[in-house]
Amino acid sequence: MITPIKALRKNRFKTALIFISMSVSIAAIFLISAISGGVVSMYSSMLKTDGDIIVTQKGIADTFFSDINRSAADEIAAINGVREVSALILGAAPVDPLPIVGIYGASKNRFKSYALKQGLYPSSGEVMLGSKIYETLKHPKTISLSKKEFRVSGVFKSRIGFEDGGVVMGLEDAGAVFHKSASIFLLALNDLGKSDAIVAQINKTYPQMEAKTTDGFIDSYNQFKIIKTSSDVIGAMAFLMGILGIVSMMSMVVNDRRAEFGIMRSIGLSSRVIIFKLLGETLIIALLAFAVAYGVSEAVLELIKHADKFQGYINGEITAALAIKVFVVSVVMALFGTLLPAVYAARVDPMSLIQRGGA
Amino acid sequence: MKIEATGLEHFYGHEKVLDGVDLTIDSGSFTAIIGESGSGKTTLLSILSTLLQPTKGITRYDGKRLSELGNIDRFRRHNIGFVFQFHYLISYLTLRENIALGAIDESRIESLLHSLGIAKLSHRYSDEVSGGERQRAAIARALVNAPSVVFADEPTGNLDSKNALGVYKLFREFSHQGTGFVVASHDKKIADYADVIIEMEDGIVKQIHQ
Repeated sequence: MITPIKALRKNRFKTALIFISMSVSIAAIFLISAISGGVVSMYSSMLKTDGDIIVTQKGIADTFFSDINRSAADEIAAINGVREVSALILGAAPVDPLPIVGIYGASKNRFKSYALKQGLYPSSGEVMLGSKIYETLKHPKTISLSKKEFRVSGVFKSRIGFEDGGVVMGLEDAGAVFHKSASIFLLALNDLGKSDAIVAQINKTYPQMEAKTTDGFIDSYNQFKIIKTSSDVIGAMAFLMGILGIVSMMSMVVNDRRAEFGIMRSIGLSSRVIIFKLLGETLIIALLAFAVAYGVSEAVLELIKHADKFQGYINGEITAALAIKVFVVSVVMALFGTLLPAVYAARVDPMSLIQRGGA
Repeated sequence: MKIEATGLEHFYGHEKVLDGVDLTIDSGSFTAIIGESGSGKTTLLSILSTLLQPTKGITRYDGKRLSELGNIDRFRRHNIGFVFQFHYLISYLTLRENIALGAIDESRIESLLHSLGIAKLSHRYSDEVSGGERQRAAIARALVNAPSVVFADEPTGNLDSKNALGVYKLFREFSHQGTGFVVASHDKKIADYADVIIEMEDGIVKQIHQ
């Protein structure tokens, strides 16, 4: 353990470059995964609140484009096994000075899912604001939406960033703003075991609508797939950049240390010993880089979470599962990045030392 | 260990540097290979020490060909030591750590440090000791596994005459204890210490003096 640390200290400039390269790559993987995971998690949580089944317009690419007749909510509520149906309009609009804000029209029975901090739930012509946007807009009495003034009736607190940075209003008012009846229905069931039967019944009764269990909807939701794929692609690029960084720096390190490896060969140390020696050194850097990247990523996510600019919409979290995944990725990155230069180092011919006086 | 070379030839590209060398080296002897630069002594040393495969010819170690020795790294580690012209100590390791680097067991290190007169310097780094002391540490590294034979390529090339003679005396002492030494040098003073002198010229053994 001491020898690799001494070797790293001796080559401290290049060690630092490898460390920085790895830290940046690992932090990039952490951040993109945590942020994309946070977006998916926030939207999923929003839909899962009192939503065992979700009903949207059939064949739409995104819930924002969905338009269903809200009058069907009462009929669906009467289906055996359905405890409650709430209707939502999902929209986004500028709220001066913010260029885009999530606007949620909600049926009255949905209001209870918003924990009021102050004031009252909104009546007609009123809105309630998430605590984050309330602070960002500096405690407004009214807000303007689609050239119409709405009085702020209350402020709620939500752990879901999209809601905490958003505006909630009655379904009728939202319908007038976005020119639609409802975007989605969220069904709470008495018995989850009946969910498949209820889904089938709704799909049969309302051919213009599409019902899915909320878990099934989340699994198949295109936007989530796009976010996840984009995140995976960017993560893979960061991984490759990390490997390339390690390969190029380790190649320079190996070249600088040719004499050292040549001596090792000449005194009978096997190629495998030299390869493991270099892998060990890079693993030490990888462990340090992982720890630093983890700390930096947590700090950056915390800054983003509290940055007014993002209105709480970007709310990433590094879960234990993500940390383990990135740790494995870091180790693999270190091993792959070092393997080629290490194999080259192991083949250094001691003859070059004897015949040419060293490296 | 008895080393036998038969019909050794070696080319670097089209240049023939060894041209049919036959010789035998016995363990416990001090053999000096002398000759001008380009005479082929370093190439011969490299082939005999298993670091280089000859283009043509056979080397045998106690009657076994190289291909019959199994793992060459392992064979080299257990049976062969090497001393370079430059000490080539690893700069981030202390003298003791350098000696221990290839040690199969470390029990000989202390006695080697004492017999080579560098025990008090063992925790220093190579840039903290003199050139002669560095070369003594390099010799200790070559001897740590009690090899049958130590090959040295111009081991005094970087030392003043006083230190050079000290190195030859050390080789002489250790050869009396049973370790064979094969030393390539253009320094004629080595003849005063060697049991066998192999004189090389233009890739051939010109003369062997017993």
